[in-house]
Order: sequence, then C-alpha cells, then structure tokens
Amino acid sequence: MSNNVNLQKPAQKHEGGNTPLLIAEHIDKQFGITHAVNDVSLTIDAGEVRGLIGENGSGKSTFSQMLCGIYSIGGGSFTLDGQPLHPKNQVEANNAGVAIIVQEMGTLSGLTVAENIFFGHEEPFMHLGVKNTGAMNREAQRLLNEYGFGRIKASDMIDRYNFEDRKLVEIVKATYMKPKILVVDETTTALSQNGRQELYKIVDAIRADGRTVIFISHDLNEVMEHTDSISVLRDGEFVGTFRTADTSEDQLKRYMVGREIGSAYYRADYGEKVSDEVVLTVDNVSVPGEISNISFQLHRGEILGFGGLSECGMHEVGKAIFAASWDRTGSVKLADGTAINDIPTAIRKSIAYTSKNRDNESVIVNESIRNNIVLPSIEDLANHGILNNRKLTAFADKYAKDMQTKMTGVNQFVSDLSGGNKQKVVLARWLGKGSDILVLDSPTRGIDIGVKQAIYALMDDMRKQGKSIIMISEEIPELLGMADRIIVMKDGTISGEFMRDPALSEEDLIAKMV
Amino acid sequence: MQKNNNQEPSKFRAFLSSDTFKGLLPFIGFVVIVVVMNILTEGKILTPKRIRLLLSQVYYPMIVATGVFFIMTLGSIDFTEGSTLGLASIVISKLSFISIPLAILGGVLTGAAIGAINGFFHVKFKLQSFITTICTMFLFRGVCAYLTTESAVPASTEIKALDLNWLKITITVAVLLIAWFLFRFTRIGNDVKAIGSGETAARFSGVKTDRVKFLVFVAAGALTGIAAFVNVIKVGSITATAGSQLETQILIALVLGGLPITGGAKVRFSNIIVGTLMYTVLNNGLVMLGYETQTQQLIKGIIFLVFVALTIDRKALKVIK
Repeated sequence: MSNNVNLQKPAQKHEGGNTPLLIAEHIDKQFGITHAVNDVSLTIDAGEVRGLIGENGSGKSTFSQMLCGIYSIGGGSFTLDGQPLHPKNQVEANNAGVAIIVQEMGTLSGLTVAENIFFGHEEPFMHLGVKNTGAMNREAQRLLNEYGFGRIKASDMIDRYNFEDRKLVEIVKATYMKPKILVVDETTTALSQNGRQELYKIVDAIRADGRTVIFISHDLNEVMEHTDSISVLRDGEFVGTFRTADTSEDQLKRYMVGREIGSAYYRADYGEKVSDEVVLTVDNVSVPGEISNISFQLHRGEILGFGGLSECGMHEVGKAIFAASWDRTGSVKLADGTAINDIPTAIRKSIAYTSKNRDNESVIVNESIRNNIVLPSIEDLANHGILNNRKLTAFADKYAKDMQTKMTGVNQFVSDLSGGNKQKVVLARWLGKGSDILVLDSPTRGIDIGVKQAIYALMDDMRKQGKSIIMISEEIPELLGMADRIIVMKDGTISGEFMRDPALSEEDLIAKMV
Repeated sequence: MQKNNNQEPSKFRAFLSSDTFKGLLPFIGFVVIVVVMNILTEGKILTPKRIRLLLSQVYYPMIVATGVFFIMTLGSIDFTEGSTLGLASIVISKLSFISIPLAILGGVLTGAAIGAINGFFHVKFKLQSFITTICTMFLFRGVCAYLTTESAVPASTEIKALDLNWLKITITVAVLLIAWFLFRFTRIGNDVKAIGSGETAARFSGVKTDRVKFLVFVAAGALTGIAAFVNVIKVGSITATAGSQLETQILIALVLGGLPITGGAKVRFSNIIVGTLMYTVLNNGLVMLGYETQTQQLIKGIIFLVFVALTIDRKALKVIK
C-alpha cells in the first residue's frame, strides 16, 4: 500500500503551530433564500485542533462541507498549504489532503469493511483492472489493528456492524492516509464513551504529528477539553476565534446565541415525590437479537431515563413500547389494561415516540412541516372523514410556533430545516396530539444549546402536567440532570436502576454500563 | 471558483431549479407541444374534428392514469395496467351477452383482483412493486393471449351501443372528481404522500402503511376495470394486443404531466390531466406527421428521458419501491 508520502509533508513544518495551513477568504454559500454561510474568513494553523461551534443553522457544517467537496463553494476561496483548493468532490478533497467524518452514516452498505476503507482509493490494489481482494483485506486489517480496532474484521460485510463500529471504520477511512486537515463533524454524538476516547486519541495523535483537526461539536465540554482554539459562527457569520485556554463555556455560549444563557439548564429540583400511579407496565418484553426480558413500570408525571452504551438495546426498548419492533414478545399494557400491539393503537392511546434516527424514522424529510405535524392527529382534525385544509394549516402553525420552530411558514419542507428545528417539528407533532406518555429516544442528539434548553424546559413542563416521559439517552449528564429514575442497560438486559439524587455521579452509571 | 458571480444569471438559475418552475414546466411543455404540433401539421391538429378525435382517445388512459397516480405517489410503480385492461375487457365482453351491469361489475372485480394480487405480494412479501408487477404482467399477458388465441373476443351489440360521448365524459369526470376529493380532502391523500416521502417515518406517525399500500393497488386495479368498460364500448371486440404497452404510455404521460418519478409530497393532481392530454397530442401529432411506429417510439423515448431528467427530485432520489 502506497502510504502517500506527499501527504506527510506538513509534519516537517511543525514549529510550534504558527504556520497557517488553511486560509479561508470570504467563503459564502446560499441555499435558495437561506444565506447559510455569509462571508466567512478565517485562518487555521498547522498542528492545532480548532473547534468550530455555533447553533444549528449557524453554517458550521456547510462551511466544512464546502472545504471537503461535499457542497460546491458558493463564493470566496480556500488556500491549503499555499495551494488554492477547489474540491469538486470528496475524492478530490481527499487527494488534496482534506478528509471528513460526518454526523450521519458515512459508510456504504453492501460492501466489506475493507472496501469501505479504501472506497475511491482502490488503485493500489488493482492489477490490470482486477481487484486483489486478499491484499486489500490484509492492508485494511493491518490498519484496523494499528488503530486498536482489531475486533472489526476487514473481510466482513459492513452491515454486520452497528452504528458505532461503522463510525470507527469511517475514522480509519478518513485518517489512514494522513490528511493535512481532518474535519470531525458531530461524530461524537454517534459514539459511546469508549468510542469517544478512541477518537480523542486519534485527534491528539494528528496534532502531535503537526497536522490539523477541525472539530465540530455541540458538546462544549468536549470542545473545551480537546481543542487549542475555537471559532464561533452565528447565523452563517463569523463571530471570532478564541484561544481555548483564555475563554470559558459561558462566554462561548454567549457568542453562539448572541445573548445570555441562564445556568438553569436541567431541572433543579431534587427529592420531589413521584406519584405511585402506574401508567404503563412493560412485562417480559424481548426482541430477538436486541433485548431480552425487559420489565418495568412507568409512573404518572415521571421522567424515566434509559442509559447505556449505544448498542445495549435501550433504543430498541423505545421501539418495543411503541410496538414498532418486529417480532416483539411479552406485553406492554396501559393502566386501563389496553395492550399495545400496533402503532395506531399506541398513538390513539396517547403514546408518542421520537426516534434516534430522526431523518428516517421521525420526520418525513421530503414533506412539508404542516403535513408532518398533522399526521398523527389527522383523524381528530377531520370532520366525518373530510379534511379542512385551512384547519390543518392553523393546527400545524399553532404547534410549530409553540415550539418556536425557525421556518418561513408551515408549507416549508422539513428537508430545509436544521437538526434542532426538525426535532421541534417532531415534538410539535406530539404536542398537538396531546400524548400523555412520551418515549423520547435521544431527544437532544446533535442539537445546540438554545434548543436543548427549550426541550428540557418542555419536558419539565410536561412532567408537571402529569405526563410521563421515557427518555433514552447516550448523554449521561442529561440523564442525571433530567430523570426521576434511571434504568441502565447492558447487552440487552437491565443492569441497574438509580433514583434521582444529587450525589449520583457519571461513574456510578458507567460502572453498570460496561 | 465563481467569485464574481453576477446576480442576474444566479437568480435565473435559482428560478430554474425552484419548485415553482418545476410545477409550471408541464403546462409550458403542453403549450409547446401543442404549438409545435400545430405548426408541423400546418394547423390540422387544432381542427374541431381532430380535437374530437383526440378527446375520444383520452378517456380510458386518463381513468387508468388516475389509479397509477396514487401508486406512483406511494413511490411504487405498476406495470400491469395493459394486461389488466386486456383481461378485464375480455371478461366484460363475455359477460356483456348476459347483462351489462354484470359486465361492468365483472370488469371492475377483475381489475381489483389483479390489484389485490399485486398488493398482496408487494406488501406481505416485501417485494418491490417493480419486480412484483413485472412478474404479474407476464402472467396476465399470458392469460390474455391464451383467451384470444382462437379468435378475437367479441362484445354484445348492446354494450357497443353505449359508445356515447356523454357517457364516456361522465365516467371520466366522475372518476377524476372522486379521486381528487379523496386525494385533497381525506386522509388518504395525506397518507399516500407521506408513504411516498418517507415510509418508516410515516409508519411511526400512525399511518397504516401496509393497509394503505394494499388498498391503493386494489383501487388502481378497479379503476383499470372501469377503463376496460370504456375501452370495450369503443372497440367492440378484444384481441390479444388489447392494452398492449398501456403501462409505459401511462408512465410517460404522468411523467410528462410533471409527476416526480419518486412520488411523495411534490405530486400534483393536475399531473394526471396535463400529462394524459400532452401524451395524446404528442401521439396524434406523430401519427399525423406520417412517422413510422419505430420513429414515433424513438421520439417519445427521447422526450420522456428529457422530461424525467428535468423534473426528477434529486433530493428524494432512491430506488422505486
């Protein structure tokens, strides 16, 4: 395997990290009427880890995706290592020394792990147009072992692995050829604690090598811990770059939001008594290959948290309650004895579900905000089966505005919205339905502080109104901050249960997860 | 790269890729095709006699297209219309000697049954509609050929006497009105569009996806049965080629009418009407210009490709279910 020698060049230039590696000048991008990136100029040095932060829709992903050839550059120019950079696609960007790990699934189903790693760079293994699969697998396995991911087999189909392992494969794919700049776009939200540690190690190694990482994340804690400097974007505009050592989380939040953010982030109360009234009983629920013999009860006005590593089965528990799993056994019963065995019954009986996989399972991306919001309530809005379109629009408008969705109107398509606003549409839908039991899987995944705060406040309100919430989350602070009770899962079974307590720590939970 | 982009062309390009323009495109295309055909045929296509002839060819494709419109909105596809029309026409012709209402009922049931078979395999076995309906198309084409090997199947003189314009217009308009009402003012329209735009998310929002898909296939089959009745009263006897290539004609018509081939939320009911009219004008014009069948197919193929390329929603691009 030719380990592209030319890509190692910046390593020799490493002298304290003051050489500008990337210069972005007047970068601009418009999508229709949305000015996603507005005249952004910034410089990034060789050998630094640069955080890139901003709320949803601030333009940070668009900016980095232009750098990586995913979007065409709308205006302005990039200069990388003295050379102008205009990548037309990701492979060109790769060849110029820019690689990206994206937020959503970035591997291709139906190919092996090795084929994914070398996708677009198969030439070293081609002889007269014939692929030497053995050599490719061996090289991929060598790389995987080198990264410490030896348990992943290069010759396996990628589909055999879960979301997190696929992310690890993507990390190898993006970094094995030693890019000058690695963009990490919200990758950590898809990773468990272990996976994150692996990623941080790689980030540190790249910096030590005199190369550069652009680190995009909503988790400020993480950004503060792993970057040298931080650039802030707001509404597509560049706010400024700050040395990590000289700034604070609160200051950054102010720059991101453009106003003060209170410290009341999670709910503040402790020791409140949760009602004894049981609203939902889950008895001995199993889904082959996912979860086995899960039993618990949910009380009125309770926020019940589910935590664990991403593959522990907790996400399947959410689907099982909503009767969205295939092949579920065991029973899910409401207080009045109604068994929940299909989704329409679940919805009619006031259960709501939001999926971790927001774009495929929660919102209908290629549909208007209006039709997304009215979908479960459509029977209630119809008069003898006849729909009044004005009534539907008014309904959707009310709940979208209650959720403060940033939109041009309810006829706007969901595909135009940022992650946080998509989630607002999902929540508006269930708010409109008036569901009493909400199963929220990763409700704040990939969402910025402003919206996160709003979602936490909404959950607290709902709890006080006597609604019950099951919150499945990979974010331990969120579980500790919001839940009345936390169930921890491991390998498809319940491994521990904790009551709300200010003394409860992340370590207590992690101990039951691994 | 495009540093000094001046505003004019970029605004124009934005307009060209906007949904407004894509929505207008079929209407512009219709006008262009009518004008071009009118010039090429030296005004012969817009004579009252020609227009009457054109309209007489519109009825049954428009009824069939209404059913296919719902199927394609789901993001699915159906290749069985031609064979369904053929088979239903044979049933109607045979039953027309007993009683005409019975014949109509028989035709509709035949169509619905074929739709149910398609829907069953598509929904229960999770077979793509593309695969399912190609298989059933061969199956029912075979049945049609078998039933018409000896001789063409004649219909009774009573049913042929019903070849009245007002009747055909009434049936077509009624079908369109009912379908428009269902599409626009009941949850069926919303459900069908939601499934086309994102099936899993629709299911997780309470749409009974399997049931809706099955019923749409049954309804589309039944509509083809109604179309078969209109066909029988017009042609009077059914040969092995009845309804031959109807499925591709409908597909081309709907796409010409602006229906995104991926289905979903961006479909418009007007796609059915504009598309069918456009296809009929195009077809007639090519015949009048004296092109051979092969050349006609070639030209239609090119126009179809250009239209798909212009109207397809690349954001929603995925394999047709």
